[in-house]
Amino acid sequence: MTKPAPNTSEKYDLGFANWVYENVNGGDKLGLCMQCGVCSGSCPIGEQMDHGPRKLFMMIRAGMKDEVLSSNTMWNCTSCYRCVVRCPRSVPVTYILQDLAAKSVELGYAKPNENSKFSNSFWWSAKTFGRTDERLVTAKYYFSFGVVEGVKRGLDNLKIAWGMIKTGRMHLTMPHQIKDKAGLKAILAKAAEIEERESKS
Amino acid sequence: MSDRKPGVYLCKGCGIGEAVDVGELEKLPASEFKIGTCKTHDALCSDEGVALIKADIDGGDINQAIIGACSHRVMTDKFSFNGTPVIRANLREQVAWSQPAGEEDTQMLAADQVRMAMAQASKTDAPSSSAVQELVQTVMIVGGGITGLTAALEAAKSGHKALLVERSDKLGGWANKWSKRMPHLPPYRGVEENHVGKLIAEVEAHGDITVMTDTMITKTSGAPGKFEVTMAHGGSDKIEMIGAIVVATGWRPYDASKLTHLGYGASPDIVTGVELEDMLGDGKLMRKSDGQKEAKYIAFIQCAGSRDPDHLPYCSSVCCGVSIKQSLQIKRENPDASCYVIFDELRTPGTAEEFYREAQEAGVIFMKGKVKSVGGDMSVVYEDDLLGQEVPLNGLDMIVLATGMVPNSTNPDTEAAEEEMNKYLISDINPAAGVSVAGYTGDTPDPVKRPEESIPPGGSILNLQYRQGPHIPILADGFSDSHYICFPYETRRTGIYTCGPVRRPMDMAESADDAAGAVLKAIQAIRSAGEGASVHPRTGDLSFPKIGHDICTKCRRCTVECPFGAIDEEEDGKPVINESRCRRCGTCMGACPVRTISFDNYSPSMVGDMIKAIDVPDEFEEKPRIIIFACENDAYPALDMAGINRQQWSAYVRVIPVRCLGSVTMLWVSTALESGFDGIMLMGCKSGDDYQCHFIKGSGIAKERMSKVGATLKSMALEEERVQMEEVSIADSHSVAKVINKFAATIGDMDPNPFKGF
Repeated sequence: MTKPAPNTSEKYDLGFANWVYENVNGGDKLGLCMQCGVCSGSCPIGEQMDHGPRKLFMMIRAGMKDEVLSSNTMWNCTSCYRCVVRCPRSVPVTYILQDLAAKSVELGYAKPNENSKFSNSFWWSAKTFGRTDERLVTAKYYFSFGVVEGVKRGLDNLKIAWGMIKTGRMHLTMPHQIKDKAGLKAILAKAAEIEERESKS
Repeated sequence: MSDRKPGVYLCKGCGIGEAVDVGELEKLPASEFKIGTCKTHDALCSDEGVALIKADIDGGDINQAIIGACSHRVMTDKFSFNGTPVIRANLREQVAWSQPAGEEDTQMLAADQVRMAMAQASKTDAPSSSAVQELVQTVMIVGGGITGLTAALEAAKSGHKALLVERSDKLGGWANKWSKRMPHLPPYRGVEENHVGKLIAEVEAHGDITVMTDTMITKTSGAPGKFEVTMAHGGSDKIEMIGAIVVATGWRPYDASKLTHLGYGASPDIVTGVELEDMLGDGKLMRKSDGQKEAKYIAFIQCAGSRDPDHLPYCSSVCCGVSIKQSLQIKRENPDASCYVIFDELRTPGTAEEFYREAQEAGVIFMKGKVKSVGGDMSVVYEDDLLGQEVPLNGLDMIVLATGMVPNSTNPDTEAAEEEMNKYLISDINPAAGVSVAGYTGDTPDPVKRPEESIPPGGSILNLQYRQGPHIPILADGFSDSHYICFPYETRRTGIYTCGPVRRPMDMAESADDAAGAVLKAIQAIRSAGEGASVHPRTGDLSFPKIGHDICTKCRRCTVECPFGAIDEEEDGKPVINESRCRRCGTCMGACPVRTISFDNYSPSMVGDMIKAIDVPDEFEEKPRIIIFACENDAYPALDMAGINRQQWSAYVRVIPVRCLGSVTMLWVSTALESGFDGIMLMGCKSGDDYQCHFIKGSGIAKERMSKVGATLKSMALEEERVQMEEVSIADSHSVAKVINKFAATIGDMDPNPFKGF
């Protein structure tokens, strides 16, 4: 990944659009966006976004780097792919949003928020055990807000937890793990290697 | 022609026989006009019916055929008898198909249609010839750019000699400066090589094309088929005889120094699109200011001066494509470059949309909004329509102003002289005069606002030695007067055709197409001049105006009003008609205060007799009569079509087709009022800058004349509302019946014309 062009203003960056076109997964198709707004109109959680995808894409063209990369748009995307299916210009909206989220983390724009914290907990479990463990993911997520907040959230949801345990949806023993954890580690190491290589080229 | 032998032929087909009593009509010629020959047939256009007429002509019984059947606009091939005058009475479209069958009023209308045709025949002769002797076949092309080069090739390929005149020292025009050209071949995606060099080589190699560079036209006189053109070349004059002229003088870029509000002049890196072409030759695009740094951040500002009421009020049409082309060129050379195209509306008609998409795929950044400010510190602030906020672009390397096209309808190299002739340069019709328009129920549209500097500075191109001055007339925006849709190449000077950007803004591919069209028109003009026939819209018409010089008072109204400058003046003011410049509209005839201009088959007395031939019932019968002078180009066909659609209108109306409303003389209006007609309507084409008039200003002149009729009516103690003018287009067939009925109702509410029965 090449670094974005140096800021020419606090808020606006002339080279940002070109940088997104070249570095963000699916960004090469972003130029085709004709601002029809079908993506934003189709988005089931558009109301929870700072900016709908249409507006976010125009902000990219306008060079509003800070605002785009700190937006919650890509974090709230549920990957339902409705926008991708409907886009008349075949812009892969979901991919672009996913990679924009990754870029905002890499560039240090993503402030810890509920979504990123949950994402981190989820990924920790997947990476460590090769599986997601409801109890540990939830615990790690709750306590990422601090001890007091963690206990409070845990108590608030005790009833749900108890229900899940009774029906066998959550367990209190050792976390389930995949058999070949070494294999998983090798896969992840390879993936990291490829990413490293690609970002340099 | 004293020995007119008319014969009347009535048709009973297509519902005429059911709608009216043809047997009654058959008695009219003998009883009222002493015409012996009158025959009826069930289908006159059948072989048998045509043979019936032909036998009478061949047998010498008749030498004029009056045919009471369908409209004169149809079946012209059937009812055509080797130059024998044919007069048609419209009993089908405007009687049988538009009036209730079997009614008394329908029968009266049919009888009047036959009466009018017989009166018309009594003043109709076969036209005599006015063919140009010693016809010249050479086509002269003025301007050696893409348009002129293509025109020369097209003319030469059609078998004509071509003379290509260029004011500069080399051929090619602006195209010489272009690094590349916009796509004109499938898939219309890529930037193409500039082909002007090839085109020049092709022209120079062609044996039938004579190229004259460094040449100015100092004088043009004559008429189609026999123009005499004087040219200055290398300090001496040269005279050439020319058949027809194609003007392809092209354009000049809009003066960017007037665009200080867009930052022009504030920095050397703020350039126009034309200036950028020079910098886009080979290799990297360097900044102009230092020549060292490669331009990486480039903003294009669209509509720089165009579509701006303070500068060029029109769209220059090519700038969007040019900016797309230039940004693609920059992106191809340097993929790291960021090209911003800031547009209000991006106009990419037809295949240009493919080119636009290519640029989007290549990562050119398009931003919709209005530019607020451009700074010498290389910043642009624009109001983004899609974000709803102002967006600044700071630290740009280059700002490109996509400036527009100004037509070379004048020669920028020569001084503008003749102030007083400017009224013939710009359209001399007042587009502000209000007139009701068929189909509109509300107020008339706002008049065209004339920009203050509508005339591109410079002298005349051809320096025509015409009564109406040296110019080819232009429209309000400075482009040469032409009808964009129906007759684009026609100018108001017959035999002289404009094409390319002098006519409207266009790109290289469009200009080449345009050149081919104009050359075909030029060739048609030469051939028509050789036959003594008219060109568009009365194509093939052999009649031409004749002036009775013994009566003429030398008032000069005809020489002033002719829309085509066809009539010159001798020193003592005697009008001289140049037949091959004439388009046969009859505007001179309508202008003449002593009615001494007439055609062999169209004259003030002919229509006057037609009016008088109509039977006007006295006031006690309570059957008012309304006369409509309908322009045969649009209004009359619209009426025919209304009939075809079986629309009905007032049976009190009598329609007389006229060549153009410009040919309507005030004599006809007074004749009609004196004959007891209760209302008069002039039905013709739209006038003004967006005219529909096929003779360009005929309907406008009629409008001016009609504006003075009110006072005359008042002096006769008649209501002003009795005489009206309506603008009708050929597309108004659905509303034309309503227009007539509304007028008929207005007239019906008035007292009868007190002159009835006098």
